[in-house]
Amino acid sequence: MTPESSPSAEAEKVVKKEHCEHHADCMKLIQMVLDGEATPDEIEHVRQNLGKCLPCENGYNVNKAIKEALQFRVEKRDVPQSLVDCIKSKITDLK
Amino acid sequence: MTADEFIAVRQYTEAEKYAIFDRELMPHIQSMYNFAFRLTQDEDDANDLVQDTYLKAFRFINSFEKGTNAKAWLFRILKNSFINDYRRKSKEPSKVDYQEVETYYDSEEMAGTAQTTDLRAETVQELLGDEVTNALNALPVDFRTVLILCDVEGFTYEEMAKILDIPIGTVRSRLHRARMLLKEKLKGYASSMGYDTTEQEEEETA
Repeated sequence: MTPESSPSAEAEKVVKKEHCEHHADCMKLIQMVLDGEATPDEIEHVRQNLGKCLPCENGYNVNKAIKEALQFRVEKRDVPQSLVDCIKSKITDLK
Repeated sequence: MTADEFIAVRQYTEAEKYAIFDRELMPHIQSMYNFAFRLTQDEDDANDLVQDTYLKAFRFINSFEKGTNAKAWLFRILKNSFINDYRRKSKEPSKVDYQEVETYYDSEEMAGTAQTTDLRAETVQELLGDEVTNALNALPVDFRTVLILCDVEGFTYEEMAKILDIPIGTVRSRLHRARMLLKEKLKGYASSMGYDTTEQEEEETA
C-alpha cells in the first residue's frame, strides 16, 4: 500500500448500506452500464454508488456474472451443412 | 412481415444480388441458425425458419442497402417470420400469460424482494453451460429473445428496437424483467444442485 493510495483505503472503510431504498432504479442503471449503453456520467454515478451500497454491489456482480454466462457459456450449435447447401442451391436455381 | 418493411431502396443487377447474398448475408448463417433454434427449440423448425428467411431476404434484397447492418436486417426478417409462421403452431405460452408475467415482474414487490433473494455471483460462475442454456430456454419467448439478442449476439439497444419493432424504452424494461426471471430460474437450478444461493441461506445451513 503506497501513501498515494491512502485516500482510497479510507474510502474502503466506509460502511456500506445494507438496504437500498431505490434498488429497482439502481438496477436499471447498472443494467445499462453492463450493456455498454450508459453515458460517462451514468457510469461514474454507478461506480461511486457501488462503493457505498451492498445490495447494488451484489446486484452488479450477479448481473455481470449472468451476462458473461450468456455470452460465453450458452450452447452454440453448428449450422447443418445440408441447410447451407440447400439454401445455396435454391438461390442458384433462381438464376 | 408488413409490406413497408420491404420497400426497395436499390435496383441491384442480378450479379450484384448474388454478390451481396454471398458476401454480406451468408456469413451470418451460424448466428441465424442459433437464433432460430433458440426461438423454435426444434431442429426441423429452425432449419425451415432459416431457409425461409434467406429466401425472403434474397427476394427482397433490393430493400437492403449494401454495406449496412446485414445481421440486424436478417434477424428482423427471421423474427417476423417466426411470429407470423411458427409461433402460432408452437407450444409457447399465449400472449396473456406473457403479459401476466410482465406485470408481475414489474411490480414494486418484485423490485423490493430482488435485493434479498439475490444469487451470488460465484454461484452463477459455478453453473454449467447446460444449466444456463436450460434456464434461458425455460423463459417465455419474448424474454428469451431480448436476452439472446443483447447478451448472446451483442446487439445494441437501438438495433434490438429495430429488430423487434419496439421503442428503446421497452427494450430496456423487457431486458430488466427478463434478467429478473432468469435470475429466479438460475436460483432454482443452483438450489436443486446444492449450490449456495444466498449469503442468508449459507448462514442458516451452517
